[in-house]
Amino acid sequence: MILEMKNISKYFGPVKAVDGVNFTVGDAEIHGLLGENGAGKSTLMNILGGALQPSEGQIFIDGQLIEEMTIHKASQLGIKFIHQEMNLVNDLMVYENLFLGQEIANRFGMLDRKTMIARSKEVLDRIKVDIKPQEIVTKLEPSRKQLVEIARELLFEAKLIIMDEPTSALTNKEIDILFDIMRGLKAHGLSIIFISHKMPELFEICEKYTVLRDGKFIDSGYFKDIDEQKATKLLVGRSIVENKQVKEYVNGPVVMQVEGLTCNGHFEGLTFELHKGEVLAITGLHGDGSGELSDALFGARHVDAGTVTMHGKQLNLGNIRKVMLAGVGMVPRNRKERSIIKDMSILNNLSIAYFAVKHHKFFINKKEEVERFRHSQKVTNIRVGNMEDYITSLSGGNQQKVIVSRWLEINSDIYILDNPTQGIDVSAKFEIYKLIGELAQGGKSLILFTPEFQEIYKIADRCLVMYEGQINAELDRAHLTEESVMYYGTGANKEGINGKTITKPV
Amino acid sequence: MEKPSRNPFKNLTWEKIWSVASKYSYLISFIGLLAIATIINPRYSSYANLSTLLLQASIIGIIALGMALVIIAGMIDLSVGSIVALVGGLGVVVLNATGNAWITLLFCMIFGALLGTINGLLVAFGKIAPFIATLATMSAYRSIIVQIGQGGPFNINSDIEPWFRMIAAGNVLGVPNLALIFIALMIVVVVVMTRTKFGRYVYAVGSNQQAARLAGINVNMIKIICFIITGLLAGISAFLLMSRLTSITAANAGNQFELDAIAGVAIGGIAMTGGRGAIPGSFFGSLMVQMIEGILIAARIPPFLDGLVKGGIIIFTVLLQRRKDEN
Repeated sequence: MILEMKNISKYFGPVKAVDGVNFTVGDAEIHGLLGENGAGKSTLMNILGGALQPSEGQIFIDGQLIEEMTIHKASQLGIKFIHQEMNLVNDLMVYENLFLGQEIANRFGMLDRKTMIARSKEVLDRIKVDIKPQEIVTKLEPSRKQLVEIARELLFEAKLIIMDEPTSALTNKEIDILFDIMRGLKAHGLSIIFISHKMPELFEICEKYTVLRDGKFIDSGYFKDIDEQKATKLLVGRSIVENKQVKEYVNGPVVMQVEGLTCNGHFEGLTFELHKGEVLAITGLHGDGSGELSDALFGARHVDAGTVTMHGKQLNLGNIRKVMLAGVGMVPRNRKERSIIKDMSILNNLSIAYFAVKHHKFFINKKEEVERFRHSQKVTNIRVGNMEDYITSLSGGNQQKVIVSRWLEINSDIYILDNPTQGIDVSAKFEIYKLIGELAQGGKSLILFTPEFQEIYKIADRCLVMYEGQINAELDRAHLTEESVMYYGTGANKEGINGKTITKPV
Repeated sequence: MEKPSRNPFKNLTWEKIWSVASKYSYLISFIGLLAIATIINPRYSSYANLSTLLLQASIIGIIALGMALVIIAGMIDLSVGSIVALVGGLGVVVLNATGNAWITLLFCMIFGALLGTINGLLVAFGKIAPFIATLATMSAYRSIIVQIGQGGPFNINSDIEPWFRMIAAGNVLGVPNLALIFIALMIVVVVVMTRTKFGRYVYAVGSNQQAARLAGINVNMIKIICFIITGLLAGISAFLLMSRLTSITAANAGNQFELDAIAGVAIGGIAMTGGRGAIPGSFFGSLMVQMIEGILIAARIPPFLDGLVKGGIIIFTVLLQRRKDEN
């Protein structure tokens, strides 16, 4: 299939998620789509898959203009979208999931289980996955669920497959299997759009690339003509070296000591320390336990063993408010679910944590609340029209600044920032990085949880890489490279992978 | 460059008018309903008639104030009617034994709060859905008082009755006592919900419980306090009902009060999903429920259809709220 997307734009209100993008994929081609989070990749792919209508632009398939793309039409044309998140029904069997919504029935209208199981087996064999069609999905590992997802899209005739970060939940061995599957599909004449943040993967499997940045088309070409430095430069719009955080390495006194912290099933026996004025990054791949760790450090999750000591006193990890009073603040991940109080105004969203720990009177003093807001607004540069408007009226970046301000108001010694730049635009990201630098310089200590290497590289003094619930490596700035983070994050030092020799990056 | 406009209405867009209108939607519907009633009966909006309306609406309206809190916090309390019966029945016993109205009032408040606490504990620590927990206590509280009274009424002694009934029947400068108490309690709840940290927390818990928890709010405590306040208000309501009726029938007293209170809250524009709404909304909402009842009587609609109309109102307002949310 030859796909041409011409001059595609998509506006969400005043926000241009995609702005005049041209995107072409040839026949039997594996095409890497690159871009930072929020660059417009997902929006573009959702337009192609028919989930979103473009504000402007046209889609041509094999030279033919497709009008009014819908999910159904895209599927009929053979465009299959393998999503990043799992879309499987856990309590059904594998074959039932494969045929969900497109079941085969016999002439009496009863389900034809035999045919469905046989066809499921066929497709699973084709991609060389040893999953039984009658296995209950809930028993499968996340990575194997991902393979079931892929199998589902191959069940019916596909011509173009969109894979949105399919490797994020896979082990190295499974990534190899996936790549074999992809090469097989390509040999059958299928085209694949491959979205990934991992450079080595992109260079290994894709021929062509297209780079998006801030919703705009940046460049397209062959991977063989570029190297990773060039690709990164296209991705971020500047060479990373220029962006290196100019902040002296700090080695202040220890402010927080974590010892043997254990949360059964998520992480075990974690021991590390945090220094005054330090930015400590904690990273890892999906399922590494770092998300649970950030909650546990804030008292938001039950801890089975271990202690956290601050200023010589042990934190009471069973009570969020007590942790806050001891001087810890947290900007949680998933802003929409865990931070935004959607029915409250911008002003009230900002002040809520202050009321919980710093305000000791029964009545609220509105004037004082507004004064504090004005002050925060200057610090974090929140751009608002009317502070009484609902917080949902703000852009993602401004919402996040309100949430960051919520925590700055309580003036904690330690801030846990859990994926603080998730889903916000590049300029707001940089403002938050700048703020983190300023906070550290002002003597605050920060723990930054993030999956993005660029972010770690820009602002962290030290990085812990987690793998399967343990700290697999501690990297200082001298050893902080994307390769080493990937190396330890994938547990490559622990597993002999598929007969492949893995060289430890220097 | 654009010259600054002298037109003071320049910034008055439809959007703004709409946002103000939806904020005070309860006032608009109240005025609308009042207009309709006045067209039907020109004497409807007389002072005497409106103060009677307040009086009639007060006993359930006081409960609706508590119900509003619980609903704003994203929950529901179905047990209020049974709390009224249980507190009211035993309240009569206390009154007959002591002959003291103050002691009886104190008893009603504390006992109501206690019953509310049970609801709160079941929801907060038992992790039972509020709908289920209060459905169970609704049945349990009612059953207890029916057993104690053996199905019969609790009558206030004839020597106490003449002065005790004046609490509900009396007036100050022509304003019925019940109306005054209703307005005073509304003002207290309005102040609590708009001027205190607690009020702020109730909205936060109802809007996004997880975000509220992660901001350091003790979500369980807020939920329990909401139920305690509702129980306390139901206790006060029971005390006033005792004075109004001078006898509490265990099986019937407070019957369907939860329906009327929820209807009042819904008409008052408080979001059934929690997080949004103003207390004056439930005040005017309760008046509107009472007005609709009056209109039905005036229109000679059989009283058996009362429940149909109220049920219809709840569904209609909730559908309207959802339409608004989706836009």
